[in-house]
Amino acid sequence: MELMKLEIVTPNGVIFDDEVRQVTLPGSEGEFGVLPKHATLVSLLQAGVIEIVKADGSKVAVAINSGYVKVDEEKTTCIVDGAVALSGEDTDLAQALSEAKELLKKAESSSTVIAAAVSKVENIGKSL
Amino acid sequence: MANLKEIKRKIGSVKNTAKTTNAMKLVSSAKLRRTEELARRSRVYAAKLTELLNEIAQKMQKANVDGLDNVYFKEVANPKTVDIVFITADKGLCGGFNAQTIKRVNQMIADFKAENIKVRLRAVGRKGIDYFKFNNVELNDEIVGLSAAPDYAEAAQFITEVTHAYVNGETDRIILVHNGYVNMISQEIREDQVLPIDPSKLELSDNSTSELEVEPDDDDTLLDALVKRYVEYTMYYSLIDSLAAEHSARMQAMDAATKNAKEMVKTLTVKYNKARQEAITTELIEIISGMESMK
Repeated sequence: MELMKLEIVTPNGVIFDDEVRQVTLPGSEGEFGVLPKHATLVSLLQAGVIEIVKADGSKVAVAINSGYVKVDEEKTTCIVDGAVALSGEDTDLAQALSEAKELLKKAESSSTVIAAAVSKVENIGKSL
Repeated sequence: MANLKEIKRKIGSVKNTAKTTNAMKLVSSAKLRRTEELARRSRVYAAKLTELLNEIAQKMQKANVDGLDNVYFKEVANPKTVDIVFITADKGLCGGFNAQTIKRVNQMIADFKAENIKVRLRAVGRKGIDYFKFNNVELNDEIVGLSAAPDYAEAAQFITEVTHAYVNGETDRIILVHNGYVNMISQEIREDQVLPIDPSKLELSDNSTSELEVEPDDDDTLLDALVKRYVEYTMYYSLIDSLAAEHSARMQAMDAATKNAKEMVKTLTVKYNKARQEAITTELIEIISGMESMK
């Protein structure tokens, strides 16, 4: 399985820095997935959820409000304004979910985008 | 005897001063630790943002034969107006911290004047505002409170005004001056050219050969958003950096003050003891000479 590096940076520090198999990002022109050896790309990100498949196959989700992503062959760097991790060993899931919803609601003016993102967050909450 | 009392009172007051300065030092060192942590965390973000901006700028520069044709990157050949944004503290008692920044700003004003460039000042922090007001130098914009408690939204609002002036052509260059944090015991003046962004300064970290795809696909939307973010964040980061430097400078100044006060207490105590001994000796001599005369 090929891997690439993924970094998610917020003004409060690096929240994710690891090798991953795949990542799905909420681009401003639509959601897109990135696999290793992706062509160089820079995109705006809108409020939504970043879904990550880690090296061991486990899934992680991070809700973000807005930002940028830079993809190249070996590395994906997300620079976001605000983020809430929705899964992890030590996070309180219920609290993380409500925080994520709060973050999304504040970030986006378009209600369809919020609705889509919030429902996604809820789905993730159920599946975990 | 009055002298003795006087010295005793003085010792008491110096001791109190030492207590106060020591407390201020402790407060500053606690605040410094917090600010340092904040700065450390946002440094990563700032670095990544700059890296991303550089990369896009360079790719676009390569694509355009005659260089980057964007208002944010275009250096004006003969700048007429320069905006200097400078950050000082709201409070004093931090050694030469504010004076250094003010000195550098004055130096820059003189330099630009020699080149016939108009300088507009935009001040952050009470100390800088007070100084230039006292010297009857016109300030284009001023804000108090931001340097003591950096707030992203406020910082963004402040710098956006300056950016607008730049985009409208009112000013040809924006320079940010602040006294930055190096470590616990030293600060250094940092001078950043915010706009136009100088792509040649940015080092190339070109590890990918494929052509850059940009989404949304007209370059300007993304670049505008990115530059805006970059400028805002540069401002915000400078504020944090300046605050950390302020605390470290104050810590040092208060440490020195405490030491000096303690030193002074020592000298005064010696003086007090001497004066007391002198009084006793005088009294003894008086008694003895009195007895002698009785014989």
